[in-house]
Amino acid sequence: MALLEARDISKVFTVGEATIAAVQGASLRIEKGEFLSIVGHSGSGKTTLLSILGGILRPTSGQVLFQGQDIYRMDDDGLSEYRARHVGYVFQFASLLPVLTARENLLLPTVFLRGRANAREAEKALRYLEMVGLAEKADAYPYQLSGGQQRRVAIARALMNDPEIILADEPTGDLDEETEQEVMEFFKKVNREMGITFVLVTHSLELASAAHRRFRMTHGRLHEETAVSP
Amino acid sequence: MTPFSLFRLSVRNLRRRPLRTAMLATSIALMVALLVFGASFSMSVKATLQRAIDRLGADVLVVPIGARDYAEEVLLETKAKSFYMDKGVLQKVAQVQGVQELTYHVYLTTILAVCCDIPSSKVVAFHQGTDFIVRPWLRQSLGRPLGKDEAILGYEANRNLGLLELESGPAEGGTQLTLFGQRFQVAGVLQKTGTGLDTAIFVTDENLPLFIQKGKSPLKPGEISLIFVRVKPGQDPRKVARRIENAILEVDTIYRNDMGKRVLSTLRDINKVFLLTILLVLALSAFLTWSIFSAIVNERMREVGIMRALGAKNGHVLRAFVLEVLLIGLMGSLLGVLLGTYLSVSFARVFTLLRDVAATLSLAQRAQVALLGLLVGTGLCVLGALSPVLRVRRIEPLLAIKEF
Repeated sequence: MALLEARDISKVFTVGEATIAAVQGASLRIEKGEFLSIVGHSGSGKTTLLSILGGILRPTSGQVLFQGQDIYRMDDDGLSEYRARHVGYVFQFASLLPVLTARENLLLPTVFLRGRANAREAEKALRYLEMVGLAEKADAYPYQLSGGQQRRVAIARALMNDPEIILADEPTGDLDEETEQEVMEFFKKVNREMGITFVLVTHSLELASAAHRRFRMTHGRLHEETAVSP
Repeated sequence: MTPFSLFRLSVRNLRRRPLRTAMLATSIALMVALLVFGASFSMSVKATLQRAIDRLGADVLVVPIGARDYAEEVLLETKAKSFYMDKGVLQKVAQVQGVQELTYHVYLTTILAVCCDIPSSKVVAFHQGTDFIVRPWLRQSLGRPLGKDEAILGYEANRNLGLLELESGPAEGGTQLTLFGQRFQVAGVLQKTGTGLDTAIFVTDENLPLFIQKGKSPLKPGEISLIFVRVKPGQDPRKVARRIENAILEVDTIYRNDMGKRVLSTLRDINKVFLLTILLVLALSAFLTWSIFSAIVNERMREVGIMRALGAKNGHVLRAFVLEVLLIGLMGSLLGVLLGTYLSVSFARVFTLLRDVAATLSLAQRAQVALLGLLVGTGLCVLGALSPVLRVRRIEPLLAIKEF
């Protein structure tokens, strides 16, 4: 059984009287431990597809099965629990809550899953911040961090609940080359050493080539391009 | 590190825009202060009246015809009034069916330098042999009957005149005062009764002939002001009052439960004004809460989307907002309760009605009013914020992130 499977996913947005088919009949099987990349131009539907996989946008039609269970047949709380327990999401923009410190931002998914985060989770958050090289910034607020540092905190946050899969949407979008390389190395390490499955959405072919399998999204349609060696 | 929960997120969000938070809390505080002040005002007048009526202990009052209001002003308020009827009425009242016992008072008003050596005060002459109104108070404060040349001061009368450095009890030393040309030894101070008679000076009616003789009072021989009647057990005081009025044409009666009606009628009018003002302020505060929380929810919609994407259930998001609303509501309400209580204590004397009935509230009654203020203030805050906050339930996480 695939870890995550998308079956004939379509998503149509209605803007006024116009309809936009953002995703058309996309199907995808993701096995546990895989590192997938989806490339495509801006507006090709990559983010929409990733959001549907992550349970944050309901498809117009089709199914998303996580370990064989259709996530969109779950009620709202069930879907939230799917996101909290199984998925780590890295957004393409700064996504830290401004009123919380870096460490507290990391603790949020735990609060959503368990109601509160105690000292053990706080230590775990510190370990993950250490992994992304920001342990000394644990008590800094987002405005005290650079864009790259904020992105690294968000990546650490995606790991907090030990998810089975991390969905990263242009995670290195506004980072310099050096930081971009560091983030990619970190992703590969996490995938390799922790066995966490990765789906990386990017417009960079170079970054996409780091994946085991590469998909291309064109006008809402998904094609597997090539199998890339890990 | 202390455990991290949604509560901390709500507290941090409150501190995000301190001015806005303070503005909303202040509006709630003002509304609650008005409510607490109004409720304290109304409750203290009612409670004080009831207490005073209970302390007087008579079932029916018999007064000269047309003097009902004067009698209430003397007995329940702080005013000094003189009104008289023929003492022969006593005999007639005693013969009415259902009357068990009765006693009378004579009320006089002092005038400084004309008759007396104290500023304008009310003097009550009572008949020690039959009295059941003042005698229990005397027993409590003096422990013996009042002598002929003695006067005892009501609690407030002593405070107003400053004759004795004594809260209550028998006086030691030789303080004297002149009433209607007659010298009196001040025997002591009565305990607070909560009635209008707290502002009076009490003497026995044995002194009345001397007052008349010295020509310093308008009182004529054989006149009394008011008769207190107790009815026999099982008798309906209202029926007895009616019988007295039917039997004696020159008197009016006041049935125990009708006492204070004039004050209560004024109070009802004041309450209507309070209620209308409070309702308007309530509506204004609810609207302010609604508009501020509409702005807050719009501002934070993207953050709500992020929280939802991280696994927050609708309940988590709602709880975070509701905690924030509750904190503002509680802060504002607490401030309002304190402000309202302070106002009701400090400025109560500005209101003639409260001054006249010597209104006070017990600690339990103050706690009741405070609880009412807290509930209404916090409840209103939650209600006002409910509609904008519930809006976050209807939006998908990605759309919340992208569209806001």
